[in-house]
Amino acid sequence: MRRFHISNSLRAKLLYYFLISMIFTILSFGMIFAGSLAVQDIADRRFADEQYLHELQGLLDEIQEPLETYLAIYSSSSLATLLYTTETLKDALPDARPVSGDELELLKKEIYFLIDSYLIQVNQIIELKRGRKVQAYTDAFEEMTVLYNYITGRINDVSLKGFRRQLGEYRTFLELFRTVQMYSLILILLIVAFAYSLLMKNINTISLPVQELSIMAGKISAGDFKVPDVNVHSVTEINHVAAAFNEMKNSISHYIDELKKQKDIEQEIMTERVRNLKMEQLLKRMELYTMQAQMNPHFLFNTLNTGVQLAIVEEAEKTADFMENLAALFRFNIREKKFFVPLRHEYEGLKSYFNILKIRFPNSLNLELDVEDDLLDRFSCPAMMLQPIVENSVLHAFKDREGLGTINLSIRYELPILRISVRDDGIGIPAKTVKALLTPHTHDYQLSSKVMGLENVIQRCYFFYPGEKEVVQIISGPEQGTEILININTEVEPCIEL
Amino acid sequence: MNRFFKYAPNIFAILILGFMVLSVLELVKSPFLPFEKKTAQPRKTYHYAFFLPSQDYSFFRKLREGALSASQTMDCAITFHELDSDPLSLDMVVNSGYDGIGIYPYVKDERTLEALATISEAGIPVVQIENEILRDETTFFIGTNNFETGKAVGNLAMKAGTGKLNMALVYSEKNPGLMTDSNLIEMGLNSTMGSRLGKLHTRLTSLNPLDAEGLTYELIRGWEDLDIIILTDPNDTLVAVQAIIDLNLVGSVQVIGFGEDERIQEYINKGLMLGTIVRNPFRIGFSAVMALQEISTNGYTSAYVDTGISVLIGKIPEGAGK
Repeated sequence: MRRFHISNSLRAKLLYYFLISMIFTILSFGMIFAGSLAVQDIADRRFADEQYLHELQGLLDEIQEPLETYLAIYSSSSLATLLYTTETLKDALPDARPVSGDELELLKKEIYFLIDSYLIQVNQIIELKRGRKVQAYTDAFEEMTVLYNYITGRINDVSLKGFRRQLGEYRTFLELFRTVQMYSLILILLIVAFAYSLLMKNINTISLPVQELSIMAGKISAGDFKVPDVNVHSVTEINHVAAAFNEMKNSISHYIDELKKQKDIEQEIMTERVRNLKMEQLLKRMELYTMQAQMNPHFLFNTLNTGVQLAIVEEAEKTADFMENLAALFRFNIREKKFFVPLRHEYEGLKSYFNILKIRFPNSLNLELDVEDDLLDRFSCPAMMLQPIVENSVLHAFKDREGLGTINLSIRYELPILRISVRDDGIGIPAKTVKALLTPHTHDYQLSSKVMGLENVIQRCYFFYPGEKEVVQIISGPEQGTEILININTEVEPCIEL
Repeated sequence: MNRFFKYAPNIFAILILGFMVLSVLELVKSPFLPFEKKTAQPRKTYHYAFFLPSQDYSFFRKLREGALSASQTMDCAITFHELDSDPLSLDMVVNSGYDGIGIYPYVKDERTLEALATISEAGIPVVQIENEILRDETTFFIGTNNFETGKAVGNLAMKAGTGKLNMALVYSEKNPGLMTDSNLIEMGLNSTMGSRLGKLHTRLTSLNPLDAEGLTYELIRGWEDLDIIILTDPNDTLVAVQAIIDLNLVGSVQVIGFGEDERIQEYINKGLMLGTIVRNPFRIGFSAVMALQEISTNGYTSAYVDTGISVLIGKIPEGAGK
């Protein structure tokens, strides 16, 4: 893993690319260098052969001249020179004279043998001279001179043939060298292209991820934290940057999500508080309504009880009955304050209210109760719900109208809905008012205080059952009466927490 | 563009390696690598010298090739000398360290005879090719039996027509091997043709390559009954045929040539010549080297080796001759 990191790092890659390019360059120049060495080798070989043959020729020349002098004047110094040069020449000749298939080598071998013969003839001539055999050494000298000239000619032949051969080799070599130079030129161009493409590839491996990162940074700065992670395969350094960038993006995204969650929670708390305030307001309004409806209910309750007792004493049964119902109604109104009460409590309160109304309006108001008794103990309903509805009908349904008006209360259970209906056959409620009544709102009451009780009931129902759109229904038409339906879903828990 | 740079380094690397390999191969297959010493020629034991005429006839080229071929398969090396342009080299044989010589002694002159005698006296084996101008114990002969050559010429001549045939036999100093004191070619002709041999005159051309032209004119103009001219040198053959063409006598006078020069073969194919006598120069050269090698290793060889002849025959003219 460590090795991989080293090899994939920008520094290592640049080093590798540099080394590869250098190797290619060195190899290319190496071939040119090898070619140059070959030229030198050709020249060296020719010069070595030429120099050696020139040396032999020089020694032959050095023999020929003193020999003539010796034969002419019998000079002992010439003889000494002659003998010395003869020995030198003999030493200069190679002992081994291998027979080879090479023409030049054969020629050189021939020259060595010719020189051997020449040296023998020189010695013979010296001996003949010493023996004063004039004619013999004269003839021998003549013969030897022919041999000398022949050797000189052969040496020249070797030089010429060697030169021609080397020239041929040189030409062949030049052709080769030109080919190699052409290859080298192509190689150098290819190496330049290779190095450039390698450099560009390397730059791309860096710049493209950086470009990608910059685009991603732009999106993030625009608030888009959903962009996918940058997945780059670049040098180690860039990979680290990309990984760190991805990590930073995810961290920021996570942090922002957390902030949003907290904000949502705070928003919920605020909403809840508003709801609670609204609830409190509703309760206060209800209390206000109650207080408006009753002045000092306890005092009145006690007073009514006194009145009941007084009526009984005076044997006024009807008054006593009226007073008793009135007292029951007051008792209902001053009950323990709860949001929800058993349905029976509401029913009993309404019954007292009905009894009072029967006494008050014996000829103009007919009150009907259609309730299944077992439902009263099974279910609960919002407190102070039924009486305001009925009261609303009493107050408004039969206004400016003569004759008997009927108000009907029915309570039904249609699983899972507890359906409470208050229906009258009065003048009806204008559609505009119905719409205003059925509009949930959290602000102050819109309608006149005349329907404040009904509106309070309706808004409380919306409050307790925010998810139930049809918790309250008003079916009304001009001169067709009004039916107010409270549909309580018994499977839904009322929202009564503060 | 980015895709290009993605793959470009690999492509360039492959190209670089390819060109590098090509470049190295160029260097390796050449003999110039400084670290590669020139391959040494195989060492041989014997060194022979061949003395041949300088003419660039295919005969001598093939003879040379035969000798070289033999030297490559045998334990010897050969140096060639041109006998006519460098006669001194023959004189210097005794000083040159040769183990034997092969010579095509086309001229039987005093100097050549003397040189051969000196060489022979020095104990250096001498193989005479085609022409045996000196005969002693250390000289050997490689070539063709002239009597057999005469018989082959006779057989070829009889294809020229019926009846007696008058013929001119033209010897040449350029190929003296066929000129023998005992007139073996004439004897061969006689033995083959018998009564069909009419008049037979012999002539001689010099070393001048154009000499045969004048001789041909002379023969044709001075001898009306001439049926066949027999030539014993390739150059003379070419010149004589050209003369006959110029005289518009193709078919009237038949030519039996000598040698297998390309132009001679062309003449035969065109029907300008009756045929030609061909020796096997490659075999002659090879046999000469083989003989020298035998002498060097065993001390003896056959004194006479017949390398045989062959005859190339052209279209036989119907009713040709008289």
